[in-house]
Amino acid sequence: MGQPGIKISDLAVRFDTPAGDTVTAVEGINHEIEAHKFVSIVGPSGCGKSTLLNVVAGLQRPTSGSVEIEGAPVTGPNRRIGLVFQEDSTLPWKTVEENVAFGMHIQSVPKEQQRRRTREMIDLVGLNGFQKVHPPMLSGGMRQRVALARTLAQQPSVLLMDEPFAALDQQTRLLLGAELRRIWRQTKQTVLFVTHDLSEAILMSQQVWVMSYRPGRIIDVVDVDLPDERDTSVVSTHEFNELQNRIWASLQQEAMRGFVAEATAS
Amino acid sequence: MTTVAMPLKRQKRRPSVAIGSVLVLVVACAGWWIASRISFVIPDPSSTTRALFSNLGDPDYQRDMRVTAIAVAWAFALGTLIGALLGLVLGLSRTARLLFEPLVIGLNGMPKIVLYPMLLPVFHLGYGSKVVMGVLFSLFPVLINVAAGVRDVPEVYWKLSRSLNASRWQTLTAIVIPAIRRPLLTGIRLAVSLATVGVVLSEFFATQNGLGRTVLRAYGTGDYADMMATILLLISVSFTLSLALWRLERKTR
Repeated sequence: MGQPGIKISDLAVRFDTPAGDTVTAVEGINHEIEAHKFVSIVGPSGCGKSTLLNVVAGLQRPTSGSVEIEGAPVTGPNRRIGLVFQEDSTLPWKTVEENVAFGMHIQSVPKEQQRRRTREMIDLVGLNGFQKVHPPMLSGGMRQRVALARTLAQQPSVLLMDEPFAALDQQTRLLLGAELRRIWRQTKQTVLFVTHDLSEAILMSQQVWVMSYRPGRIIDVVDVDLPDERDTSVVSTHEFNELQNRIWASLQQEAMRGFVAEATAS
Repeated sequence: MTTVAMPLKRQKRRPSVAIGSVLVLVVACAGWWIASRISFVIPDPSSTTRALFSNLGDPDYQRDMRVTAIAVAWAFALGTLIGALLGLVLGLSRTARLLFEPLVIGLNGMPKIVLYPMLLPVFHLGYGSKVVMGVLFSLFPVLINVAAGVRDVPEVYWKLSRSLNASRWQTLTAIVIPAIRRPLLTGIRLAVSLATVGVVLSEFFATQNGLGRTVLRAYGTGDYADMMATILLLISVSFTLSLALWRLERKTR
């Protein structure tokens, strides 16, 4: 076992509904991610993936249990944690450059460093030439690159991503996924990536956690032993298919359970 | 190829706004002139223009213009400031919204001018009463637009601010205020014209100096060209200001 990255112990999140019931969103999460590892969580919609991520990010308090990042307990949002959202979070009134610098600006990073890191990150995510453009002129995929660059520029040691490519089309999603993997191989953050897309999860991660429908538990941990250097072509290999079948086998029942529960609830 | 070129060509020949404006102006002047021939109480365009220019050279009239302009400027500035602050509170706080939203809607529906007789003894005939009236007119559009704008700030911006550990002040200045720039500008545009309405309307009732009073005096003496000249001046100034602000609003991202 290497250095500790993210350590989740006995975590449970429950909340009360307006009807007076108590819903258990996640329960019994007892897992660890080594530093510099890339882990994805897959699960049916409504399984509490986002809740778990919010707790790790310090945006939400757990009902019980704790989260540690590099050995220090998480009590709220902090600089070591970088978040990338599903929704477009770029600021339309700022240029790409200003958007990338925005997090550093809020955190009062010295101006000279802001300029240097902005330049590096724009280069890293492939937005060169778009520095002075405003986000509304860009495609959804490009805007997510801007958001990613903004988060990376804050130099977090842990990167939490909540379905960042979910609003994009399948091709863009796969391409950006491969891009993200390339970037991660350079920056080497500890990544926790939430998605409902199996191929996306396998393509990018070293390990995939499968989550059950409510109460959200981690029912399977699958190591992805694909070559470290991979691109979108890996999707058509036999190994990739095997992994996909294995994960789908444990996920299928849960997805069905969630589907039925959501259908009867509405 | 020709089928592709066709719609492109048609797009090029889009009539410009300037031509439309000139056309409207010409038609309005012609209509005005015809009306003045039919009814003797309507002054014709040329005598109105003459009255306007002789007015503009008159020191008394210049004082009236100054008084109205200063009152409108104060009413606009105070109305926008108060409206924006109340709008922010109403948009940011759920409690404030639940407590005061019905009150705001009700007060906005109230004919504010009926308060004028009550303002007079308190704020006197000078600037006080009409500025307060102008403020009452102009603060509501700013308040309502800002409150709605704040409520429409995307959820993800609040999450972004929290994840960056931004202070309240940073969130307000770096996210909320730029995010509501468009509704804020809409409110400001409406506030300019409503501040003018409030001030001039007050001057119609009772005041010492101001353009509203000159309109009423010209009406009393039957000098319709003079009356029309002042009305035209008020209309052109607020028209131009509103248009300029509307342009700015559309240019804003």
